[in-house]
This record gives sequence, structure tokens and C-alpha cells, in this order.
Amino acid sequence: MTDDLLRMESIVKTFPGVIANDHVDLTVRRGEIHGLLGENGAGKSTLMKVLYGLYTPDEGTIRLDGTPLRLDKPQDAMDAGIGMVHQHFKLIPRLTVTENVVLGSREPAASFRKENVGDGLLAGLRTSAPVQAVASRFSLGLDRPKRRIRTLADQYGFNIDVSAPVRELDVGQRQRVEILKALYRDVDLLILDEPTAVLTPVEAERLFETLERLVDDGLSVILITHKLKEVESVTDRVTVLREGADIGTVDTADVGRAELARMMVGRDVLFEIEKPNTTVGDPVLEASSISAADDRGIEKLSGVNLEVSAGEVVGVAGVSGNGQTQLAETVAGVRDPTAGTIEIRGREMSEASPDEFIEQGVSFVPEDRHENGCAGGLSVMHNAAMKDFRDDQFGDSVLFDYGSVGEYASRLVDDFDVRGVSDVTDNCADDLSGGNLQKLILARELARDPDLLVANQPTRGIDVGAIEFVRERLLERRDQGTGVLLFSENLDELFDLSDRLLVMYEGEIVLRTTPEETNKKRLSVEMNGGGSKRVSVPDDPPEAATRRAADGGRSDR
Amino acid sequence: MLVDIDVSAREETPSWVAYGTPLFAIAAALAVSVVALIAIDVNPVAAYVQMFVRPFGTVSTLSNVLVRATPLILVGLGVYLPMKAGLWNIGAEGQLLTGAIVGTWIAINVSLPQAVLIPVMLAGAAVAGGLWAFVPALLRAKWGISEIITTLLFTFIAADIQLYLVRGPMQGGSGGFPQTDLLPGVAEFPAIPGTRAHVGLLVALLFVALLYAVMRRTRFGFRVNFVGSNAEAAEQAGMSRYRVYLLTLVAGGALAGLAGISEIAGNQSRLHASFAPGYGYTAVPIALLGRNGVSRMLLAALFFALLFVGGNRVTVAMDVPAAIIDIVQALVILFLITAEFFQRYSLSVSVDRGDDGQTIQGTEVSADD
Repeated sequence: MTDDLLRMESIVKTFPGVIANDHVDLTVRRGEIHGLLGENGAGKSTLMKVLYGLYTPDEGTIRLDGTPLRLDKPQDAMDAGIGMVHQHFKLIPRLTVTENVVLGSREPAASFRKENVGDGLLAGLRTSAPVQAVASRFSLGLDRPKRRIRTLADQYGFNIDVSAPVRELDVGQRQRVEILKALYRDVDLLILDEPTAVLTPVEAERLFETLERLVDDGLSVILITHKLKEVESVTDRVTVLREGADIGTVDTADVGRAELARMMVGRDVLFEIEKPNTTVGDPVLEASSISAADDRGIEKLSGVNLEVSAGEVVGVAGVSGNGQTQLAETVAGVRDPTAGTIEIRGREMSEASPDEFIEQGVSFVPEDRHENGCAGGLSVMHNAAMKDFRDDQFGDSVLFDYGSVGEYASRLVDDFDVRGVSDVTDNCADDLSGGNLQKLILARELARDPDLLVANQPTRGIDVGAIEFVRERLLERRDQGTGVLLFSENLDELFDLSDRLLVMYEGEIVLRTTPEETNKKRLSVEMNGGGSKRVSVPDDPPEAATRRAADGGRSDR
Repeated sequence: MLVDIDVSAREETPSWVAYGTPLFAIAAALAVSVVALIAIDVNPVAAYVQMFVRPFGTVSTLSNVLVRATPLILVGLGVYLPMKAGLWNIGAEGQLLTGAIVGTWIAINVSLPQAVLIPVMLAGAAVAGGLWAFVPALLRAKWGISEIITTLLFTFIAADIQLYLVRGPMQGGSGGFPQTDLLPGVAEFPAIPGTRAHVGLLVALLFVALLYAVMRRTRFGFRVNFVGSNAEAAEQAGMSRYRVYLLTLVAGGALAGLAGISEIAGNQSRLHASFAPGYGYTAVPIALLGRNGVSRMLLAALFFALLFVGGNRVTVAMDVPAAIIDIVQALVILFLITAEFFQRYSLSVSVDRGDDGQTIQGTEVSADD
């Protein structure tokens, strides 16, 4: 076919003991958004690293526009017209947008460019080879790139000040800088590796609009994801990988979500979760007018009242940065409140240390698994026992019995289906994929039979199979009488799991409701502060206005 | 560029790499050192035999190595323990000096029977070393002030106090040398029969065993490992970073203090202005090489002792300048520490056809998805 831009045929890539890609085919047409779907560890990133010249395939061919490619390094891929936006941005915060974009392909300063030299006295000197050689290495002309970047940004509606340092941009804007980097190099094919993992739902919508405009202009886009919803809403075709194998390529319009999930996981996945009614018991958490500050001492939580009872799930919604993190940390006992009181099972705990909260039956699944949830360099065994190591079952007051800790860890690994662990003492937590690490953390927190579970974004960045598992376990705990405080940016999740719903905005709870009494639209409005302060909601989300204000009123035009 | 170097993380470290690289690194360092030896007309083979084989020749030469190893083991532990908690006790030298000063003072000024005096000296030295580490430990635990800087500055203070004491209040002996009186006989550590090695070695081995047990068999060891690996997560799990920092650094100081008195009472018999040629600093690479386990740290300390003793032999027997031996020793340490990189990363070098001036791509890649 003539409209095929990229053909990867029969790609094989093995690592010691693992076949990461087993004869995978991928064909991308000109002007389409092509989804690459699979669970964590299915081989998506490996395939894309092959395409971007980071890995050399063991077998297989890559053709772009019919021309066979040999990609030994990313520069080869860029030269061929392939650009990639990595999940973790490769930007230098101190440099401006323009400097970041031209990094690696800069131009000499204006006075050394041939068309600007003119006929002056020094013209001959400026164009001489040695001067040019020095100029191209040591001078930097940003005027022309800046104009071009600004044009590109305007063309695609990016709301970015090209002379602002990257550190002043929010995550969504930084991602757009990464896209600009690729566009500046005139790519035909743009790869995005899980681009929405770091974005809020509103920002994700904007990203998809951008992608639509790019393909309208003839670019092709490969979207790596494990989110079915994204595949459905934005891709034209999708290729599914499972455990390194190529499950096939389908037109997105022809398949439903359940079918995609089955291709991806290899079995049927439940989207609707059974939520039996349970009886709500005594309060396990009573927080009254608590305030808290972030690490820089800026108040993020202002006088919140909150009660969670045994046997209920209380969901907290909010745009990230509105105090949810501080609320979660404060009631879990890892951050001291600046005011107010916290009672756990009737005991006053405002001044208590983290281990007293643990003793009192509080479990915590932190937002950042790697930063706060585990010690990546230590074994799975260490991490499984991170909180329960004080327990008498692991030896007497002097000696600590690593043998029984190992057995305990193996039991958790089996019970919670944590994959990728061959030996709990050999494998370290960093070896686990995101979903499996999250299962391990959840196993650790739930095995303690907690009275209160505080879970902050427990399903962020993990694949559908693991999400389903985590949600089922949360509800199971609720039915066994644990009070669950669930923070999530995923409204579907909050509606599916919660008995009661709270909305946070600027450090306060602005709405208390239940899933039955409200809907997602109402919630979104409240999350953006529109509930009490505005009567009608314009199409332009209020958040954009806040962001502009946060930019210090800088305008890009 | 014509040469393309590709560095990639190893999925697993094959066992031959794990055990082979240190040996290969030593061999490579010695091969490079040949240049320096030949330049001054020394037969490198003879020098290496003198350095690495002869010390094993007799009980007496071997015990020289053990004598040298004794303070290195103790002060090595003093750096190793805080390192497990994520702290750098760069100033072990200062803790060693204070331990030596206080231990010597007790030995000279307190009269007790030997069986009581020696434990008192050890205890005094340990307390002194521990106290010397206490202020940096407190500053680190309470306000996060870098222990790298503070322990080092405390070393300068200790060194100057020591110089003042051996020239002033504690000066003794004849001839006005900057040194104290000889220790009384009862204060000297008894030798292990048939060797020059002394009781200090037994103390050192006792603490190796003790630390092994603490790290592998107690909840405190579990806490230390956790705080050292991710202090933030450890704190959220209810472990006290404050306590772990304070305890490990103070215990480290105490161990370094023991190294000080052990060297004085077991080997040198008096406190001299420059009795410790940087043992506290040598302890840092020792702990670094042995950071994966107390037993490895013990091996590293023994190897360093061999390097020093062997180096002395070459200097004396073959009339080689000490500076050249320093170069050989430095190269061995440098190669050993560099070698750890190759245990974690594999390197492939290929020659590029090189049509244009492309740069080397050192891409850090990993196989996870």
C-alpha cells in the first residue's frame, strides 16, 4: 500500500531470559494516530526503543517510506524523521523553551550566517572556513529558531512563552515543549510514550486535540498506552502486544472496549464492579478543622473537617495540587498538621508519630510509590515487611527472624499475584513494574488488617489488569470493616468505588455528596472552583485562567 | 569519532564477573604500574613478589599484615556502619585520634591491674570517639547539616588538639620529641602467642561478628538498611531517621576510637605526633569496597593492610622511593573502585565506519518496559 509510512516486520528482541518482542509487526499509515496497547511489560517500550535506535533488534526489518533503515542510535532515527516524546521529559529546567528545543541542532549567531554577512569589509573574514567552524561551535543564534518555534507553537495552539525557562512551565506545557522539539526537526512520525500518565484529564484532552491537528497536517503518530479509553477516543488503528507477542492490529472503530481488554490481558475484564451494600460502623477517623502546609511551608490545607467510618469508602476528588496530598499525609500520620485535631478510633493523634498511627491501625498507600512507598534498592522481602517488621511473629525482642519474614513476604507475593518475583530476597523492589510494585505495597498495607486505609492515587499509572485487582481488594477491605479514604483523579474510579464523595478545591472541601446524588460534570465544575464562585461554566476551563495567572501574567503573543 | 562505545546496564551480573573483576582490576593496576617501576629501573616481577607473596612467607611476616590490619578493620567498621544508614563518616580520622588521646591518657595516668585497665582504656577510647562523632551526628539528624563537612572539620580540630598535647601537657620521654611517655607495661595489649598480632585484633574480629549479627539478625539492622536505602519511605513506615542517624554515627565514632587506642597500645606503645598515617581516610575506600557486607569489608581491610605492608617491604628491601609505592597503591584502589562499574554495566566498543563526525552516543538504557 502506498499510504504506509512505517513498516516494522517480524521484530525480535530478546534479553537474557526474556523475549521482549517475538516477531512483532507494526504498520503505521500516513496521517493516522496508531495506538500501541499492552500491559506493563508487554514489550511496547522495547519495540519503540528499537524504532528509535536505542536497541538493536535481533531480527526483523524496519522500513520508512519503503526505505530500509538501520538505526544504531537515536540520531539515526531523528535524521530519518522519527521523533519521540519520552514519558520522563528530557528537558533542562534552567534553559528557556527555545534553548531546549534547539539543543543539539543549533544555528550560529546571526552575524555569522551567510545571508546576513553582506558585502562589508569583514565579509570575507566571516565566511572563511576557520571562522565558520568556530562560530558554529561556539556561537548561538536564537533569533531565527525562536521565530520558527513561535510559529509552530501558534500553528498548533500551544499556549507557551518560548523565552520562558522550562522550570516555570507546568507538566502539560513541558510536554508540549517536547512535542515542539520533534516538530522543529521536521519529523514525519511522532512517538509518544504514555503521554497522559503525567497529565490531568483536562490536559490530556488538550493533548489529544493537538495530536488530531498534527495528523491533519500529514504527520503520523504512535501513541503508547495501556488506557483503553484513550485508544477508543483518539486512535484510528491499534496494535496490541501481550507478553512480547503480537496479538494483532485492528481498526479501533471495529472493536469495543471489552474486546480490546481481552486482547490485552488475555481474559475477560470486569469493568463494572459489584458493590454490595455494607453496614457502616463506628467512625475510625475524625478530623476537625485540620490545616497543613507543604514542604516549603506554604499552607495547602485550610481547616478541613472529615469523618470516615468503618466499612465505607470515602472518595476525594480534586485537581492535583489542591491539598489532597497534604490531607492524605496528615490523616495517615506522616505529616504534622499545623492546626486542628485528628482522632483515630477515638484516640487523639494530632501530635503522634508515624509509628503510633501504624500501631493504631492506619495503613497508607502513598501517591509516589518509588519516593515514599518503598526502598527501591532493597529486596521485595524488606519492602513487604516495611511496616510489620515490629510484629512478634518475626522473632523476639532481640533477634529478628529473616526466615519467617521471607515466608511472610512470599505469602503476600502469592496472595496478591505480584509478578516478576522469583526470589523475595534476591529481587529488589526496583525490578518490579509499576503495577506489580503497587500490588506489593497494597499487599503490605492490607495484610495488617487496618482499621483505616488512606489510599492516594492507588491505580495511577498501572495497567487494567492490576487496576481491576486493586479496586476489588479495596472493596473487599471495605466489606471486612475497614474505613477507606480514597484519593483519585479518575472520576470513574471514584464513582465506582465510593459510598460518599468529597471535592477539594484550594485546600478546602467544597462539596460533600454521594455518587447517586451527583454526576461527573457537576464534580468537574466543583473541582475547578466553579461551584460556589460562578454560576455558569464557560467552555474555557477556569483552570486555564489559573494557569495563566500562575505564569505571572506573561503573555506569549 | 571512529569508535562507538555502548554502555548498557546488566540485567544480571554473571558470577564470573562478580568474582573475577576485582582480581582482574588488581592485575590491570599492577600492569599499568609496571611503567612506573621500569622507569626507575626496578624489576617489576621482583617488586610484586616482594609486595604480594613474601608477606605470606613466615608467621612473623604474616603477623605484620595482621597488626596493620587491626586498626584498619576497626576504623573501617566505623565508616561502614554509618554508610549503611546512608551517611558518610569522612572524619573517622578525628574520632580515631580522640580515641587514641583519651586511651593513652588513661594508660599513663591510671593505675589498675591489666585485666581491668585494658577494658577501661578501650571503653574510654570508644566513648571519646563516640563523643567526637556526636556533634556532627546531632547536626545531621536534627537539621540535616552535611556530616561529610562536619566530621571532616572535627578531624582538623582533633588533629590540632593532638599536636598541642604531644608538644605540651602530655609530652614525655627524652629529647623533646613530640610524643608521650611509653605506655606502662600493664597497659600494653598482650600479644597473641607466637605472633606480633595483639588483643586488638581479637577486639576487631569481635566487633566484625557483632556488626554482622546486628545487621543480619536484629530489627535495628533492618531499620538501618531501610533508612540508608530510602529515608523518606522509612520515616513514613514509622522508623526514626533521627535515632538511626544518631546511633550509627556515634557507634561509628566509637569504633574509630577503638582503632586509635588499639594502634597505640598494641603496636606503637606511645602516642606520637604522626602515629596514624591517615587510617581514618583509608577507611573510606575500605568501607566503600566492602559496603555489601561486613565480611567483605573485613577482606578489604586485610587487602589494604597487605598493600601497605608489602609496599613497605619493597621500599626497604629494594630501595624504591616510597612515592612510587604510593602510586602503585593508588592505582590498585582506583582500579578496584572503577571495576564496580563493570559489574553493573556492560560495555561494547565498536569501530564505526565513520563517514561524518558523529559523536559518541553513551546511551543509558534499561530493559524494563
